[in-house]
Amino acid sequence: MMEDKLRRYVESLFEETKPTRKAVELKEEMLQNLNDKYGDLLNEGKTPEAAFNIAIAGIGDVSTLLQQLEEGFLSDPELERHEKARRKSAMLTAAAVMLYILSVLPILILDGLDIGLASLLGVPLFIIMVASATGLLVYNSMTKPKPVREADTMIEEFKEWQSETQEYKQMRRAISSALWTLIVVLYFVISFTTGAWHVSWIIFVVGGLVESLINVFVAMRKNRGK
Amino acid sequence: MSIASDLIRGHTDTIILACLMGGDNYGYEINKSIQQKTGGRYELKEATLYTAFRRLEQAGYISSYWGDEQTGARRRYYSITDSGQGAYRTLIAEWQNAKNMIEQLIQLEENE
Repeated sequence: MMEDKLRRYVESLFEETKPTRKAVELKEEMLQNLNDKYGDLLNEGKTPEAAFNIAIAGIGDVSTLLQQLEEGFLSDPELERHEKARRKSAMLTAAAVMLYILSVLPILILDGLDIGLASLLGVPLFIIMVASATGLLVYNSMTKPKPVREADTMIEEFKEWQSETQEYKQMRRAISSALWTLIVVLYFVISFTTGAWHVSWIIFVVGGLVESLINVFVAMRKNRGK
Repeated sequence: MSIASDLIRGHTDTIILACLMGGDNYGYEINKSIQQKTGGRYELKEATLYTAFRRLEQAGYISSYWGDEQTGARRRYYSITDSGQGAYRTLIAEWQNAKNMIEQLIQLEENE
């Protein structure tokens, strides 16, 4: 049948193009219009072969059109915004890592001075630095933009879903590791200063509770965001 | 004919917008109406037509939707947006301007 021949011809035009939603829609649109044209030409009294050839000849050069489809019509400001956000995210991560590394410095220096300030000033400074570094990491993972959707394919949607889950896991891991560092530090600080070793272990139980509460809170926020 | 073709091709967007000012339409009908209005002397290549559709849609001048034909395959219809109507009027004004200027430039002055 000539209609099949038209379909095959259009399919062959799109052979090299990624089957995005836009590409598939364009293909359907083209085929529908070609079929209409073909039908009209037959009604005018053309032979099926002549009608097919005239219809095909009217398509013209589709290479630019298909190339534009491949590029996904991603507008420049969108790309620019994405690039900016990526840089901000990298800066925040770098600052957080730097804070983590520097956090032991007050303790080391004050301990080296040997004037008994290590636990009085060094530990609080350490905790403050670790806390702010963690704050940066958490803030970063929560404000990080989703990857730009290049094409509306199922694969892209899956990737986005996957990265969403990964982001969520990453954030949980960041919170968890920071929380337990804090708990251990607190445990030693409290135990050494008060000497209440027999009860201070309770802080670990409380820590577990706090972590579960944070998880619930994050999960609720995540669901509300949807 | 080649001058006319080149001139017309430069105004593909205006022609499509003008066509859609008369109501929503789909690709083949739009091209057919162009053909009929020019007495069969001009017809857009489909690739040109679709490229223009995408460009106009990207600019927000037109929007598209799939029709719900009961029989046969569905057609993709285009309709002109408010900003598209504004763009159409601007393009028409520009064309009138250009046309007048070209006429002034290419006509011989009679009282010489």
